Amino acid sequence: MRPLDRKLLRDLRRLWLQAVAVGTVLACGIAIFVMATGMYGSLESSRDRYYASALMADLAGALVRAPDRLAAELATTPGVAGLETRVSGVGLITLEGVVEPVSARLVSLPVDRRPRVNDLVLKRGRWPDALRSAEVLVNESFAEAHQLEPGHRIAVLIRGQRKSLRIVGIASSPEFVFAVAPGDILPEPRRFGVLWMSREALGRALDLDGAFNDVVLRLQAGADRANVIASIDGLLARYGGRGLYGRDRMLSARYLSDELSQLRTLASILPPIFLLVAVFLINVTLSRLVATERANIGLLKAFGYHDTVIGLHYAKFALAFCMAAAVLGIVLGNWVGGYMAEVYQSVYHLPELRFAAGASVYLGALGVGLLAAVLGAISAVRRAVRLAPAVALSPPAPTEFRRLGEYLERRLRALDARARMLARRVLRFPRRSATTVGGISLALALLIMSEHFPIAIDRIIDINFGITQRMDVTLTFAEREHERVLREVARLPGVQQVEPLRTAEVILSHGVRREREAVLGIPRAALLNRVVSVDLQVIEPGTTGLTLSGSLARKLGVRVGDRLRLEATDGRRITTEVTVVGIVQPFLGSAAYMEREALGALLREPARVDSAYLLIDAAQRDRLSALLKEIPAVVGVTFIDNAERSLRQLFEQGAGFFSYMFLMFSLVMAAGVAFSAARVTLGEQERDLATLRVLGFSRYEASWVLLGELVMLLAVALPLGLALGAALSRWMMEQFETELFSFPFVFDVPTYARAALYVTAAVFVAALWVRRDVDRLDLVAVLKSRE
Amino acid sequence: MTAPRTPVFELRGLRKTYGEGAAEVHALRGIDLHIDPGEMLVLLGPSGSGKSTLLNILGGLDRPTSGSVRFGALELANASDAELTDYRRHHVGFVFQFYNLIASLTAHENVELVTEVADDPMPAEEALRLVGLGERLKHFPSQLSGGEQQRVAIARAIAKRPAVLLCDEPTGALDVGTGILVLESLLRINNELGTTMLLITHNADIARLGDRVVRFADGLIRSVESNAHRVPPAELRW
Repeated sequence: MRPLDRKLLRDLRRLWLQAVAVGTVLACGIAIFVMATGMYGSLESSRDRYYASALMADLAGALVRAPDRLAAELATTPGVAGLETRVSGVGLITLEGVVEPVSARLVSLPVDRRPRVNDLVLKRGRWPDALRSAEVLVNESFAEAHQLEPGHRIAVLIRGQRKSLRIVGIASSPEFVFAVAPGDILPEPRRFGVLWMSREALGRALDLDGAFNDVVLRLQAGADRANVIASIDGLLARYGGRGLYGRDRMLSARYLSDELSQLRTLASILPPIFLLVAVFLINVTLSRLVATERANIGLLKAFGYHDTVIGLHYAKFALAFCMAAAVLGIVLGNWVGGYMAEVYQSVYHLPELRFAAGASVYLGALGVGLLAAVLGAISAVRRAVRLAPAVALSPPAPTEFRRLGEYLERRLRALDARARMLARRVLRFPRRSATTVGGISLALALLIMSEHFPIAIDRIIDINFGITQRMDVTLTFAEREHERVLREVARLPGVQQVEPLRTAEVILSHGVRREREAVLGIPRAALLNRVVSVDLQVIEPGTTGLTLSGSLARKLGVRVGDRLRLEATDGRRITTEVTVVGIVQPFLGSAAYMEREALGALLREPARVDSAYLLIDAAQRDRLSALLKEIPAVVGVTFIDNAERSLRQLFEQGAGFFSYMFLMFSLVMAAGVAFSAARVTLGEQERDLATLRVLGFSRYEASWVLLGELVMLLAVALPLGLALGAALSRWMMEQFETELFSFPFVFDVPTYARAALYVTAAVFVAALWVRRDVDRLDLVAVLKSRE
Repeated sequence: MTAPRTPVFELRGLRKTYGEGAAEVHALRGIDLHIDPGEMLVLLGPSGSGKSTLLNILGGLDRPTSGSVRFGALELANASDAELTDYRRHHVGFVFQFYNLIASLTAHENVELVTEVADDPMPAEEALRLVGLGERLKHFPSQLSGGEQQRVAIARAIAKRPAVLLCDEPTGALDVGTGILVLESLLRINNELGTTMLLITHNADIARLGDRVVRFADGLIRSVESNAHRVPPAELRW
């Protein structure tokens, strides 16, 4: 081994703690990069593979009832690659030991063949026998939530008739990667299941013998989508077709693409922050190394070593631990990614979702490591290269300090000499001070941001269940009912208050812009289910026109006072014009509102309701549950406390692990920055510290100079980090915003205080660790050596 | 004839050993010495002869392996860390070959560093005037020449009015002219303040400055000579 390389190894051994501090920060960034990019790729390809192999529908639509013979005509529409007509409906499942009703989505399976669109993956058991009408498949997450296995029986209420069905298999479908109950916005596998049964049996049960009410299809590559939609919509119009829609309105597909875009956001925001901090730390560490090795550099040059060889020597130093960090980051990222894939798998039930980052991600990670080394080392290497041998061999002049200007100097007079040392050093090396401040404040900001996510979700849930949904029970009716049903509901035991909701599936258009949306018809002065805006004001729906969400208004390009074309896609299917009477920022969910009775009048279907909200006497809960299961009109019963619990569980699963990981990574960053800063400061101040000790200052008094500098920088970094954390959280929440959710920005004082405390603790631990070196200073050796 | 004075330092059988076994180095092999108040003592000898080790022990930077060093009532040989810190803080001043000024503090502030914590210091300005630097109070070390920096170091060492000033090759890094200025400052302090002074040098000529010259070799005192008369620095040549 060449002597310079041997020196390199010894330098690394000598400075290993510092290399570890810098390397870990870099490794964390690379780990996030590998995890998020790899997870994105794995999830996307797993989804795409699944969609391709299981023939996920490109378009879907519901209708009232069309004869089976229409199927052939639909399937031959130009541009259609495959089409399936189905019978679909809803039911209520009664499970032994489960008091509350569970909703079911019922979907037919073709006789004697597999579905051509939205095929199933059979996980266990077998396919239903077309001749045995009581056999069903259930979806995997529902089966798991209730420990259902092939051979079990379940009771299902379909159109008022109780049927005992035998589970013969557990399946998953690309259509229900996220299985969300009608009227809900989040999957709750305990409360919602998908049942597939033979076309004949389900047709009979739903009174759709020889007919279908649901179409799913796949497009040929390069097909003209709009043409296909127009042709099929045209064919289905007289059968009550509600219009085809794409994957962007299929709830499950939408969840998956939202998740993917959030991963992409994560992969693009976080690693650069870590990279930036690592680059600065490498710069500081290496600059210090070159400064201490000044004489060595002069000597090497005097011996005839080339500038490039010397430059390369220091570059290799950075390269060595950056590459080690990249490898560590890849290992860590793979490990975290593997765990995340398991979490995703438990929620999504995608077949073969395995974390696989792939060569390009690993190359990218190594590239990031290389980039960090190059960017971090460049200025120090340049300094080493430019050092003239004669200059390097002569002792360096004392570091130049200047007076700080009259105002600052006057203020400094009030301090003691050690405080003045601190202040001048901090201001004399503004770039390094800024690096330390920047690194610590970024760590704090990162911590706040990671803590913000669960808080935002908590907040969403708090507002949703505290301000918006104040009912105890939500009832969803199978079909649009006359409002007299409310009186019957009010007579049920324990019911104290009833409030109706009317919804309408419509297509809104303005000029050439068309949007498919649900209009919520809510009663005036609603008490149980209220719409609130982002600033938590209750939104009162208009009676003379529609109130739209800001994002929908933007998509349609309308302002208050504009007229919109409204086509109802169900019921009487009237087409009319309506005025935009308000634009609001709703906190959650749907996008168009109108007063319930006014909406009924507009659609020429007065006095109709789709759902009812109840306040109940808790003591009567079980009795009420039992009775609701027997009411044919009811297909969904949600007890709000259950909904809240399962929602919190769902989020804790993913977000809990994430915030724990980010907590660790942020602390690593804060401690790494503090450790490097303290090490470098100690290196530079060794002589000053020894001088103070010789002059009769105790260890602790001398340490004060070292720690004081960090405390001072920490004092600047904390408020900066808090502000940066708030800004970053707000920005991140905006990036995470989807059509289903907007994440609120929450300024939660305890969280900010806790984050600041953690970072302060990390800085202090690092500083005290380095401080021990003050005790070990060899006073005589330090003072007698030339600098 | 003057009455016998109480010595500042009383050294008996002082030994210092570094390392163990084959690597054992005997830096001091049994030193007996007493140093009087106000005395200017020059320690002369080749490198590794033990003079610096002795100076470090007298300055409370190091402890002997055996033997006794008394500073008044304080036994330095078994003083605690806190006692040694306190001893350095109030009783000893150091001057090193490399000045060891704090680069971020001005000349004045470097001296203040000491006056802030000492019991009965002289004003920093006065200390700087004593070394002939009354004019350059607000300059930072980087704005001073080597000789000036060393004189600031001396001012810093004497500002606490120490009983003893320990100088380890104070002119080692300086040219002759500048070295003479520094030595004159030291002599002036010895004369005006009556500070006991120990001065290490390689240079036999500088030895003529002292009241007594102690010659070291191999960790032992070879000779102690008294100078009949002290030569003023301006007459020294090296």
